[in-house]
Amino acid sequence: MKYVILIHSNPQPWGHPTPNFLPEYEALSPAEREQLDKEFEAFLGELHAAGELVSGEALGDPTTSKLYRASSHDDPPVATDGPYSESKEHLAGFFLIDVASQERAEEIAVRFSGPGETVELRPAMWSGGDEA
Amino acid sequence: MSGERFEDVWRREVPHVLAALTRRYGDFDGAEDAVQEALATAAREWPRTGPPDSPRSWLVRVASRRLVDAWRSDLARSAREQAYTAREDGPPPEAQAADDSLQLLLLCCHPALPRASQVALTLRAVGGLTTQQIAAAFLVPTATMAQRVSRAKAALRSNGAHFDQLPAAELPARLAAVQQVLYLVFNEGYTSSGGDHLLDVSLTREAIRLTRELRARLPDDPEVAGLLALMLLTDARSAARTDARGDLIPLERQDRSRWDRDAVAEGVALVQAALPDGTVGPFQLQAAIAAVHAEATTSAETDWLQITMLYRMLARVAPGPMVTLNLAVATGMAHGAAAGLAVVEPLRTDPALARNHRLPAVRAHLLELAGQPDEARAEYAAAARLTTSVPEQRYLNARASSLAER
Repeated sequence: MKYVILIHSNPQPWGHPTPNFLPEYEALSPAEREQLDKEFEAFLGELHAAGELVSGEALGDPTTSKLYRASSHDDPPVATDGPYSESKEHLAGFFLIDVASQERAEEIAVRFSGPGETVELRPAMWSGGDEA
Repeated sequence: MSGERFEDVWRREVPHVLAALTRRYGDFDGAEDAVQEALATAAREWPRTGPPDSPRSWLVRVASRRLVDAWRSDLARSAREQAYTAREDGPPPEAQAADDSLQLLLLCCHPALPRASQVALTLRAVGGLTTQQIAAAFLVPTATMAQRVSRAKAALRSNGAHFDQLPAAELPARLAAVQQVLYLVFNEGYTSSGGDHLLDVSLTREAIRLTRELRARLPDDPEVAGLLALMLLTDARSAARTDARGDLIPLERQDRSRWDRDAVAEGVALVQAALPDGTVGPFQLQAAIAAVHAEATTSAETDWLQITMLYRMLARVAPGPMVTLNLAVATGMAHGAAAGLAVVEPLRTDPALARNHRLPAVRAHLLELAGQPDEARAEYAAAARLTTSVPEQRYLNARASSLAER
Protein backbone atom coordinates (compact mmCIF):
# COMPACT_ATOMS: atom_id res chain seq x y z
CA MET A 1 0.00 0.00 0.00
CA LYS A 2 1.38 3.34 -1.00
CA TYR A 3 1.07 6.49 1.05
CA VAL A 4 2.41 10.01 0.70
CA ILE A 5 3.73 11.86 3.69
CA LEU A 6 3.24 15.57 3.07
CA ILE A 7 5.32 18.02 5.04
CA HIS A 8 3.53 21.31 5.65
CA SER A 9 5.86 23.91 7.00
CA ASN A 10 6.76 27.57 7.05
CA PRO A 11 10.54 27.80 7.32
CA GLN A 12 11.93 31.35 7.60
CA PRO A 13 13.76 31.84 5.32
CA TRP A 14 12.60 28.98 3.12
CA GLY A 15 15.15 26.18 3.42
CA HIS A 16 15.72 22.48 3.89
CA PRO A 17 15.70 20.52 6.06
CA THR A 18 12.73 22.66 7.05
CA PRO A 19 13.00 22.23 10.83
CA ASN A 20 16.36 24.02 10.77
CA PHE A 21 14.54 27.22 9.82
CA LEU A 22 11.81 27.09 12.45
CA PRO A 23 11.86 28.89 15.81
CA GLU A 24 10.83 25.68 17.60
CA TYR A 25 14.00 24.02 16.37
CA GLU A 26 16.23 27.00 17.09
CA ALA A 27 15.00 26.98 20.68
CA LEU A 28 16.61 23.57 21.22
CA SER A 29 20.13 23.16 22.51
CA PRO A 30 22.82 22.23 19.98
CA ALA A 31 23.05 18.78 21.55
CA GLU A 32 19.29 18.26 21.23
CA ARG A 33 19.34 19.40 17.59
CA GLU A 34 22.20 17.07 16.80
CA GLN A 35 20.38 14.21 18.45
CA LEU A 36 17.18 14.91 16.48
CA ASP A 37 19.07 15.15 13.18
CA LYS A 38 20.97 11.97 13.84
CA GLU A 39 17.85 10.02 14.77
CA PHE A 40 15.97 11.19 11.70
CA GLU A 41 18.89 10.49 9.40
CA ALA A 42 19.16 6.95 10.80
CA PHE A 43 15.40 6.48 10.44
CA LEU A 44 15.48 7.50 6.77
CA GLY A 45 18.34 5.04 6.26
CA GLU A 46 16.27 2.23 7.83
CA LEU A 47 13.26 3.02 5.62
CA HIS A 48 15.46 2.96 2.55
CA ALA A 49 17.17 -0.27 3.53
CA ALA A 50 13.82 -1.94 4.20
CA GLY A 51 12.60 -1.05 0.71
CA GLU A 52 9.76 1.00 2.19
CA LEU A 53 10.90 4.44 1.04
CA VAL A 54 9.99 4.84 -2.61
CA SER A 55 10.93 8.46 -3.19
CA GLY A 56 10.90 11.93 -1.74
CA GLU A 57 11.40 15.50 -2.86
CA ALA A 58 12.06 18.79 -1.11
CA LEU A 59 10.12 21.62 -2.73
CA GLY A 60 11.27 25.13 -3.62
CA ASP A 61 10.11 28.35 -2.01
CA PRO A 62 6.37 28.79 -2.55
CA THR A 63 6.99 32.24 -4.03
CA THR A 64 8.67 30.49 -6.98
CA SER A 65 5.57 28.51 -7.87
CA LYS A 66 3.38 29.35 -10.80
CA LEU A 67 -0.34 28.71 -10.65
CA TYR A 68 -2.57 28.08 -13.64
CA ARG A 69 -6.31 28.28 -13.47
CA ALA A 70 -8.85 28.10 -16.24
CA SER A 71 -12.35 29.24 -15.36
CA SER A 72 -13.91 27.30 -18.22
CA HIS A 73 -12.97 24.93 -20.97
CA ASP A 74 -12.91 27.68 -23.62
CA ASP A 75 -10.83 30.20 -21.68
CA PRO A 76 -7.07 29.86 -21.68
CA PRO A 77 -5.71 29.27 -18.18
CA VAL A 78 -4.66 32.40 -16.32
CA ALA A 79 -1.22 32.23 -14.77
CA THR A 80 -0.47 33.85 -11.44
CA ASP A 81 2.57 33.74 -9.22
CA GLY A 82 2.36 31.76 -6.00
CA PRO A 83 1.66 31.34 -3.23
CA TYR A 84 -2.07 31.00 -3.86
CA SER A 85 -3.04 31.52 -0.27
CA GLU A 86 -1.67 33.37 2.70
CA SER A 87 -1.75 30.26 4.82
CA LYS A 88 1.00 30.02 7.35
CA GLU A 89 2.18 26.60 6.21
CA HIS A 90 3.00 25.48 2.71
CA LEU A 91 3.71 22.14 1.15
CA ALA A 92 7.45 21.93 1.69
CA GLY A 93 8.18 18.39 0.58
CA PHE A 94 6.83 14.90 0.30
CA PHE A 95 7.83 11.28 0.69
CA LEU A 96 6.28 8.28 -1.02
CA ILE A 97 6.30 5.07 1.00
CA ASP A 98 5.16 1.56 0.17
CA VAL A 99 4.27 -0.42 3.27
CA ALA A 100 2.37 -3.50 4.38
CA SER A 101 -0.37 -1.78 6.39
CA GLN A 102 -2.04 1.44 7.51
CA GLU A 103 -0.58 0.86 10.99
CA ARG A 104 2.95 0.79 9.59
CA ALA A 105 2.25 3.95 7.56
CA GLU A 106 1.06 5.76 10.70
CA GLU A 107 4.07 4.56 12.64
CA ILE A 108 6.35 6.04 9.96
CA ALA A 109 4.43 9.30 9.54
CA VAL A 110 4.75 10.07 13.25
CA ARG A 111 8.52 9.91 12.94
CA PHE A 112 8.41 12.61 10.24
CA SER A 113 6.68 15.08 12.48
CA GLY A 114 8.96 17.61 14.11
CA PRO A 115 8.23 20.60 16.32
CA GLY A 116 6.47 23.45 14.50
CA GLU A 117 5.38 21.45 11.44
CA THR A 118 2.29 19.59 10.27
CA VAL A 119 2.75 16.20 8.71
CA GLU A 120 -0.07 14.78 6.62
CA LEU A 121 -0.45 11.09 5.79
CA ARG A 122 -2.61 10.34 2.73
CA PRO A 123 -3.19 7.00 1.04
CA ALA A 124 -2.35 6.90 -2.67
CA MET A 125 -5.10 5.63 -4.98
CA TRP A 126 -4.44 2.64 -7.23
CA SER A 127 -5.99 1.50 -10.47
CA GLY A 128 -6.87 -2.07 -9.47
CA GLY A 129 -9.41 -3.35 -6.99
CA ASP A 130 -11.34 -6.26 -5.53
CA GLU A 131 -14.42 -7.27 -7.44
CA ALA A 132 -16.58 -8.10 -4.45
CA MET B 1 11.10 -27.06 -26.81
CA SER B 2 9.48 -25.69 -29.94
CA GLY B 3 6.85 -23.09 -29.18
CA GLU B 4 8.17 -22.60 -25.67
CA ARG B 5 9.64 -19.20 -24.97
CA PHE B 6 13.33 -19.13 -24.03
CA GLU B 7 12.39 -17.31 -20.87
CA ASP B 8 10.01 -20.08 -19.78
CA VAL B 9 12.81 -22.60 -20.24
CA TRP B 10 15.44 -20.86 -18.20
CA ARG B 11 13.05 -19.72 -15.51
CA ARG B 12 11.94 -23.30 -14.95
CA GLU B 13 15.58 -24.26 -14.41
CA VAL B 14 16.38 -21.45 -11.96
CA PRO B 15 15.64 -23.25 -8.67
CA HIS B 16 17.62 -26.31 -9.76
CA VAL B 17 20.62 -24.28 -10.89
CA LEU B 18 20.60 -22.13 -7.76
CA ALA B 19 20.21 -25.17 -5.51
CA ALA B 20 23.10 -26.94 -7.23
CA LEU B 21 25.43 -23.98 -6.77
CA THR B 22 24.38 -23.33 -3.19
CA ARG B 23 24.82 -26.97 -2.25
CA ARG B 24 28.23 -27.06 -3.86
CA TYR B 25 29.71 -23.71 -2.78
CA GLY B 26 27.64 -22.93 0.31
CA ASP B 27 27.27 -19.26 -0.65
CA PHE B 28 23.55 -18.66 -1.26
CA ASP B 29 23.97 -14.91 -1.63
CA GLY B 30 26.76 -15.15 -4.20
CA ALA B 31 25.11 -18.04 -6.01
CA GLU B 32 21.87 -16.10 -6.30
CA ASP B 33 23.64 -13.18 -7.96
CA ALA B 34 25.58 -15.54 -10.23
CA VAL B 35 22.37 -17.26 -11.38
CA GLN B 36 20.85 -13.88 -12.24
CA GLU B 37 23.92 -13.06 -14.31
CA ALA B 38 23.72 -16.42 -16.05
CA LEU B 39 20.07 -15.66 -16.92
CA ALA B 40 21.11 -12.34 -18.41
CA THR B 41 23.73 -14.16 -20.49
CA ALA B 42 21.11 -16.67 -21.64
CA ALA B 43 18.82 -13.81 -22.63
CA ARG B 44 21.61 -12.39 -24.80
CA GLU B 45 22.92 -15.61 -26.30
CA TRP B 46 20.10 -18.12 -26.71
CA PRO B 47 18.10 -16.08 -29.23
CA ARG B 48 21.27 -15.83 -31.34
CA THR B 49 22.78 -19.30 -30.96
CA GLY B 50 19.65 -21.27 -30.25
CA PRO B 51 19.00 -22.98 -26.91
CA PRO B 52 21.67 -25.35 -25.61
CA ASP B 53 20.98 -29.11 -25.61
CA SER B 54 20.80 -29.18 -21.85
CA PRO B 55 19.70 -25.73 -20.60
CA ARG B 56 20.23 -26.81 -17.01
CA SER B 57 23.88 -27.83 -17.32
CA TRP B 58 24.54 -24.77 -19.52
CA LEU B 59 23.16 -22.51 -16.80
CA VAL B 60 25.02 -24.37 -14.02
CA ARG B 61 28.28 -24.03 -15.97
CA VAL B 62 27.85 -20.32 -16.75
CA ALA B 63 26.63 -19.46 -13.24
CA SER B 64 29.49 -21.39 -11.60
CA ARG B 65 31.96 -19.48 -13.73
CA ARG B 66 30.34 -16.17 -12.73
CA LEU B 67 30.43 -17.12 -9.08
CA VAL B 68 34.10 -18.04 -9.16
CA ASP B 69 34.91 -14.89 -11.16
CA ALA B 70 33.12 -12.80 -8.56
CA TRP B 71 35.18 -14.32 -5.78
CA ARG B 72 38.40 -13.81 -7.71
CA SER B 73 37.71 -10.18 -8.47
CA ASP B 74 36.90 -9.51 -4.87
CA LEU B 75 40.42 -8.90 -3.61
CA ALA B 76 39.27 -8.14 -0.12
CA ARG B 77 38.25 -11.74 0.18
CA SER B 78 41.58 -13.18 -0.84
CA ALA B 79 41.68 -15.53 2.10
CA ARG B 80 38.32 -17.01 1.25
CA GLU B 81 39.31 -17.27 -2.39
CA GLN B 82 41.86 -19.91 -1.61
CA ALA B 83 39.28 -22.00 0.16
CA TYR B 84 36.85 -21.74 -2.74
CA THR B 85 39.48 -22.33 -5.42
CA ALA B 86 40.27 -25.57 -3.70
CA ARG B 87 36.64 -26.60 -4.00
CA GLU B 88 36.62 -25.74 -7.69
CA ASP B 89 38.76 -28.77 -8.39
CA GLY B 90 35.99 -31.18 -7.52
CA PRO B 91 33.36 -32.46 -9.94
CA PRO B 92 30.94 -29.88 -11.40
CA PRO B 93 27.89 -29.16 -9.26
CA GLU B 94 25.03 -31.48 -9.88
CA ALA B 95 21.47 -30.32 -10.28
CA GLN B 96 19.00 -33.08 -9.78
CA ALA B 97 17.57 -33.08 -6.28
CA ALA B 98 13.83 -33.45 -6.65
CA ASP B 99 12.89 -30.94 -3.98
CA ASP B 100 15.11 -28.01 -4.99
CA SER B 101 12.13 -25.71 -5.49
CA LEU B 102 10.64 -26.61 -2.15
CA GLN B 103 13.92 -26.15 -0.28
CA LEU B 104 14.41 -22.75 -1.88
CA LEU B 105 10.83 -21.66 -1.16
CA LEU B 106 11.30 -22.58 2.49
CA LEU B 107 14.56 -20.64 2.65
CA CYS B 108 13.12 -17.54 0.97
CA CYS B 109 10.23 -17.51 3.45
CA HIS B 110 12.50 -17.55 6.51
CA PRO B 111 10.72 -15.95 9.48
CA ALA B 112 13.52 -13.39 9.99
CA LEU B 113 12.51 -11.70 6.71
CA PRO B 114 9.77 -9.10 6.43
CA ARG B 115 6.95 -10.29 4.18
CA ALA B 116 7.82 -7.85 1.37
CA SER B 117 11.36 -9.22 1.30
CA GLN B 118 10.12 -12.82 1.30
CA VAL B 119 8.01 -12.00 -1.74
CA ALA B 120 10.86 -10.27 -3.59
CA LEU B 121 13.37 -13.02 -2.89
CA THR B 122 10.95 -15.82 -3.78
CA LEU B 123 10.19 -14.29 -7.17
CA ARG B 124 13.89 -13.83 -7.92
CA ALA B 125 15.44 -16.98 -6.48
CA VAL B 126 12.64 -19.45 -7.25
CA GLY B 127 10.76 -17.66 -10.01
CA GLY B 128 13.83 -16.47 -11.89
CA LEU B 129 12.42 -12.98 -12.41
CA THR B 130 14.78 -10.01 -12.54
CA THR B 131 14.59 -7.31 -9.91
CA GLN B 132 13.45 -4.95 -12.65
CA GLN B 133 10.55 -7.23 -13.61
CA ILE B 134 9.47 -7.65 -9.99
CA ALA B 135 9.67 -3.90 -9.41
CA ALA B 136 7.54 -3.21 -12.48
CA ALA B 137 4.95 -5.76 -11.36
CA PHE B 138 4.68 -4.15 -7.91
CA LEU B 139 4.83 -0.61 -9.33
CA VAL B 140 7.86 0.50 -7.35
CA PRO B 141 11.24 1.72 -8.62
CA THR B 142 13.86 -0.96 -9.30
CA ALA B 143 16.07 0.54 -6.57
CA THR B 144 13.31 0.02 -3.97
CA MET B 145 12.84 -3.61 -4.99
CA ALA B 146 16.61 -4.13 -5.04
CA GLN B 147 16.68 -2.97 -1.41
CA ARG B 148 14.08 -5.59 -0.50
CA VAL B 149 16.12 -8.32 -2.18
CA SER B 150 19.39 -7.29 -0.56
CA ARG B 151 17.65 -6.84 2.80
CA ALA B 152 16.35 -10.39 2.48
CA LYS B 153 19.76 -11.82 1.67
CA ALA B 154 21.41 -9.88 4.48
CA ALA B 155 18.80 -11.14 6.95
CA LEU B 156 19.38 -14.73 5.83
CA ARG B 157 23.12 -14.28 6.24
CA SER B 158 22.94 -12.72 9.68
CA ASN B 159 20.51 -15.39 10.87
CA GLY B 160 22.82 -18.12 9.65
CA ALA B 161 20.01 -19.59 7.55
CA HIS B 162 21.16 -22.68 5.72
CA PHE B 163 20.12 -24.40 2.59
CA ASP B 164 19.36 -27.78 4.02
CA GLN B 165 16.53 -29.79 5.51
CA LEU B 166 14.42 -27.95 8.06
CA PRO B 167 13.82 -29.59 11.42
CA ALA B 168 10.46 -31.34 11.17
CA ALA B 169 9.02 -29.18 13.94
CA GLU B 170 9.60 -25.98 11.95
CA LEU B 171 8.20 -27.26 8.69
CA PRO B 172 4.46 -26.55 9.20
CA ALA B 173 4.96 -22.89 10.15
CA ARG B 174 7.41 -22.35 7.30
CA LEU B 175 5.11 -24.02 4.79
CA ALA B 176 2.30 -21.77 5.94
CA ALA B 177 4.54 -18.76 5.26
CA VAL B 178 5.32 -20.10 1.78
CA GLN B 179 1.61 -20.42 1.06
CA GLN B 180 0.94 -16.90 2.34
CA VAL B 181 3.70 -15.49 0.12
CA LEU B 182 2.40 -17.29 -2.98
CA TYR B 183 -1.14 -16.14 -2.23
CA LEU B 184 0.05 -12.57 -1.76
CA VAL B 185 1.82 -12.67 -5.13
CA PHE B 186 -1.35 -14.02 -6.73
CA ASN B 187 -3.55 -11.37 -5.15
CA GLU B 188 -1.23 -8.56 -6.08
CA GLY B 189 -1.44 -9.70 -9.69
CA TYR B 190 -5.17 -10.35 -9.63
CA THR B 191 -6.33 -7.16 -7.93
CA SER B 192 -4.05 -5.01 -10.10
CA SER B 193 -5.20 -6.53 -13.35
CA GLY B 194 -8.05 -4.05 -13.69
CA GLY B 195 -5.45 -1.35 -14.12
CA ASP B 196 -4.30 0.04 -17.41
CA HIS B 197 -0.60 -0.65 -17.04
CA LEU B 198 0.89 -3.24 -19.35
CA LEU B 199 3.27 -5.67 -17.73
CA ASP B 200 5.62 -8.19 -19.21
CA VAL B 201 5.20 -10.36 -16.16
CA SER B 202 1.95 -11.80 -14.92
CA LEU B 203 2.11 -12.24 -11.16
CA THR B 204 -1.00 -14.42 -11.22
CA ARG B 205 0.56 -16.77 -13.75
CA GLU B 206 3.80 -16.82 -11.77
CA ALA B 207 1.99 -17.57 -8.49
CA ILE B 208 0.05 -20.41 -10.13
CA ARG B 209 3.23 -21.83 -11.67
CA LEU B 210 5.09 -21.80 -8.34
CA THR B 211 2.10 -23.27 -6.50
CA ARG B 212 1.99 -26.08 -9.04
CA GLU B 213 5.69 -26.67 -8.31
CA LEU B 214 4.91 -26.75 -4.60
CA ARG B 215 2.06 -29.16 -5.14
CA ALA B 216 4.28 -31.45 -7.21
CA ARG B 217 6.61 -31.65 -4.16
CA LEU B 218 3.77 -32.06 -1.64
CA PRO B 219 0.99 -33.90 -3.49
CA ASP B 220 -0.64 -35.05 -0.23
CA ASP B 221 -0.96 -31.63 1.42
CA PRO B 222 -4.65 -30.65 1.19
CA GLU B 223 -3.96 -26.95 1.91
CA VAL B 224 -1.51 -26.70 -0.99
CA ALA B 225 -4.17 -28.28 -3.19
CA GLY B 226 -6.69 -25.81 -1.74
CA LEU B 227 -4.41 -22.87 -2.48
CA LEU B 228 -3.88 -23.96 -6.08
CA ALA B 229 -7.63 -24.51 -6.49
CA LEU B 230 -8.40 -21.08 -5.03
CA MET B 231 -5.99 -19.42 -7.46
CA LEU B 232 -7.34 -21.33 -10.47
CA LEU B 233 -10.99 -20.67 -9.59
CA THR B 234 -10.34 -16.97 -8.98
CA ASP B 235 -8.16 -16.51 -12.05
CA ALA B 236 -10.79 -18.28 -14.18
CA ARG B 237 -12.96 -15.16 -13.83
CA SER B 238 -10.32 -12.70 -14.97
CA ALA B 239 -11.66 -12.22 -18.51
CA ALA B 240 -15.10 -11.39 -17.12
CA ARG B 241 -14.15 -9.15 -14.21
CA THR B 242 -13.50 -5.90 -16.09
CA ASP B 243 -15.42 -4.09 -18.80
CA ALA B 244 -13.99 -2.45 -21.92
CA ARG B 245 -13.22 0.67 -19.90
CA GLY B 246 -11.29 -1.29 -17.28
CA ASP B 247 -13.98 -0.89 -14.62
CA LEU B 248 -14.62 -3.79 -12.26
CA ILE B 249 -17.70 -5.94 -12.78
CA PRO B 250 -19.08 -7.42 -9.55
CA LEU B 251 -19.39 -11.21 -9.41
CA GLU B 252 -23.18 -11.22 -9.72
CA ARG B 253 -23.08 -9.26 -12.99
CA GLN B 254 -20.21 -11.08 -14.70
CA ASP B 255 -20.80 -12.84 -18.00
CA ARG B 256 -20.14 -16.37 -16.79
CA SER B 257 -19.72 -17.74 -20.30
CA ARG B 258 -16.40 -15.87 -20.31
CA TRP B 259 -15.06 -17.77 -17.33
CA ASP B 260 -12.23 -20.15 -18.18
CA ARG B 261 -14.03 -23.51 -18.00
CA ASP B 262 -10.80 -25.57 -17.99
CA ALA B 263 -9.44 -23.67 -15.01
CA VAL B 264 -12.81 -24.03 -13.25
CA ALA B 265 -12.88 -27.79 -13.90
CA GLU B 266 -9.32 -28.23 -12.60
CA GLY B 267 -10.03 -26.11 -9.52
CA VAL B 268 -13.28 -27.90 -8.69
CA ALA B 269 -11.61 -31.31 -9.06
CA LEU B 270 -8.79 -30.22 -6.73
CA VAL B 271 -11.25 -29.02 -4.08
CA GLN B 272 -13.31 -32.17 -4.27
CA ALA B 273 -10.24 -34.34 -3.90
CA ALA B 274 -8.78 -32.28 -1.04
CA LEU B 275 -11.84 -31.59 1.10
CA PRO B 276 -12.54 -35.04 2.57
CA ASP B 277 -8.84 -35.29 3.42
CA GLY B 278 -8.00 -34.62 7.06
CA THR B 279 -8.20 -31.13 8.60
CA VAL B 280 -9.94 -28.50 6.56
CA GLY B 281 -7.78 -25.38 6.28
CA PRO B 282 -8.66 -21.84 5.22
CA PHE B 283 -7.43 -22.18 1.62
CA GLN B 284 -9.56 -25.29 1.05
CA LEU B 285 -12.60 -23.50 2.45
CA GLN B 286 -12.05 -20.39 0.35
CA ALA B 287 -11.53 -22.61 -2.69
CA ALA B 288 -14.74 -24.50 -1.86
CA ILE B 289 -16.61 -21.17 -1.73
CA ALA B 290 -15.13 -20.16 -5.10
CA ALA B 291 -16.15 -23.59 -6.44
CA VAL B 292 -19.77 -23.09 -5.35
CA HIS B 293 -19.81 -19.76 -7.21
CA ALA B 294 -18.20 -21.38 -10.23
CA GLU B 295 -20.80 -24.13 -10.38
CA ALA B 296 -23.73 -21.71 -10.62
CA THR B 297 -24.46 -20.99 -14.29
CA THR B 298 -26.19 -17.74 -13.34
CA SER B 299 -25.77 -15.67 -10.20
CA ALA B 300 -29.43 -16.33 -9.28
CA GLU B 301 -28.62 -20.05 -9.04
CA THR B 302 -25.89 -19.49 -6.45
CA ASP B 303 -26.23 -21.85 -3.51
CA TRP B 304 -25.97 -19.17 -0.80
CA LEU B 305 -26.97 -21.59 1.93
CA GLN B 306 -23.90 -23.69 1.23
CA ILE B 307 -21.68 -20.61 0.94
CA THR B 308 -22.98 -19.39 4.30
CA MET B 309 -22.08 -22.72 5.90
CA LEU B 310 -18.61 -22.63 4.38
CA TYR B 311 -18.02 -19.07 5.66
CA ARG B 312 -19.14 -20.18 9.13
CA MET B 313 -16.52 -22.93 9.02
CA LEU B 314 -13.94 -20.44 7.78
CA ALA B 315 -14.83 -18.09 10.64
CA ARG B 316 -14.01 -20.94 13.02
CA VAL B 317 -10.61 -21.94 11.55
CA ALA B 318 -9.48 -18.46 10.52
CA PRO B 319 -11.57 -15.84 12.33
CA GLY B 320 -11.19 -12.21 11.31
CA PRO B 321 -13.26 -9.14 10.43
CA MET B 322 -12.94 -9.77 6.66
CA VAL B 323 -14.35 -13.28 7.02
CA THR B 324 -17.23 -11.90 9.11
CA LEU B 325 -17.98 -9.33 6.40
CA ASN B 326 -18.14 -12.05 3.76
CA LEU B 327 -20.28 -14.16 6.05
CA ALA B 328 -22.64 -11.19 6.42
CA VAL B 329 -23.04 -10.89 2.63
CA ALA B 330 -23.68 -14.63 2.25
CA THR B 331 -26.12 -14.63 5.19
CA GLY B 332 -27.94 -11.67 3.65
CA MET B 333 -28.38 -13.59 0.41
CA ALA B 334 -29.38 -16.87 2.11
CA HIS B 335 -31.51 -15.67 5.00
CA GLY B 336 -32.46 -12.11 4.13
CA ALA B 337 -30.89 -8.68 4.52
CA ALA B 338 -31.86 -8.30 8.19
CA ALA B 339 -29.97 -11.47 9.12
CA GLY B 340 -26.93 -10.22 7.20
CA LEU B 341 -27.05 -6.84 8.93
CA ALA B 342 -27.16 -8.59 12.30
CA VAL B 343 -23.94 -10.44 11.46
CA VAL B 344 -22.19 -7.21 10.55
CA GLU B 345 -23.45 -5.22 13.56
CA PRO B 346 -20.65 -6.08 16.04
CA LEU B 347 -18.03 -4.98 13.50
CA ARG B 348 -19.28 -1.39 13.58
CA THR B 349 -17.41 -0.78 16.81
CA ASP B 350 -14.29 -2.73 15.79
CA PRO B 351 -11.42 -0.22 15.69
CA ALA B 352 -9.56 -2.39 13.15
CA LEU B 353 -12.26 -1.57 10.61
CA ALA B 354 -12.73 2.10 11.46
CA ARG B 355 -11.19 3.26 8.16
CA ASN B 356 -11.88 0.21 6.03
CA HIS B 357 -14.24 0.75 3.09
CA ARG B 358 -15.44 -2.86 3.07
CA LEU B 359 -17.58 -2.40 6.19
CA PRO B 360 -19.76 0.46 4.83
CA ALA B 361 -19.75 -1.18 1.37
CA VAL B 362 -21.21 -4.42 2.76
CA ARG B 363 -23.69 -2.54 4.92
CA ALA B 364 -24.72 -0.43 1.92
CA HIS B 365 -25.40 -3.55 -0.12
CA LEU B 366 -27.45 -5.14 2.67
CA LEU B 367 -29.37 -1.92 3.42
CA GLU B 368 -30.23 -1.62 -0.27
CA LEU B 369 -31.52 -5.21 -0.22
CA ALA B 370 -33.50 -4.39 2.90
CA GLY B 371 -35.26 -1.57 1.07
CA GLN B 372 -33.61 1.28 2.99
CA PRO B 373 -32.25 3.41 0.12
CA ASP B 374 -31.39 6.48 2.19
CA GLU B 375 -29.26 4.58 4.67
CA ALA B 376 -27.74 2.57 1.83
CA ARG B 377 -26.82 5.74 -0.06
CA ALA B 378 -25.04 7.18 2.96
CA GLU B 379 -23.05 3.96 3.43
CA TYR B 380 -22.12 3.77 -0.27
CA ALA B 381 -20.86 7.35 -0.06
CA ALA B 382 -18.88 6.57 3.10
CA ALA B 383 -17.32 3.51 1.45
CA ALA B 384 -16.42 5.55 -1.65
CA ARG B 385 -14.57 8.07 0.52
CA LEU B 386 -12.54 5.35 2.24
CA THR B 387 -11.48 3.15 -0.65
CA THR B 388 -8.12 3.76 -2.33
CA SER B 389 -9.07 1.87 -5.48
CA VAL B 390 -10.04 4.18 -8.35
CA PRO B 391 -12.47 1.73 -10.04
CA GLU B 392 -14.07 0.77 -6.72
CA GLN B 393 -14.55 4.40 -5.87
CA ARG B 394 -16.22 4.96 -9.24
CA TYR B 395 -18.49 1.95 -8.66
CA LEU B 396 -19.46 2.97 -5.11
CA ASN B 397 -20.15 6.58 -6.12
CA ALA B 398 -22.32 5.31 -8.98
CA ARG B 399 -24.34 3.14 -6.56
CA ALA B 400 -24.80 6.10 -4.23
CA SER B 401 -26.02 8.41 -6.98
CA SER B 402 -28.32 5.77 -8.49
CA LEU B 403 -30.10 5.59 -5.13
CA ALA B 404 -30.29 9.38 -4.93
CA GLU B 405 -32.16 9.58 -8.23
CA ARG B 406 -35.07 7.51 -7.04
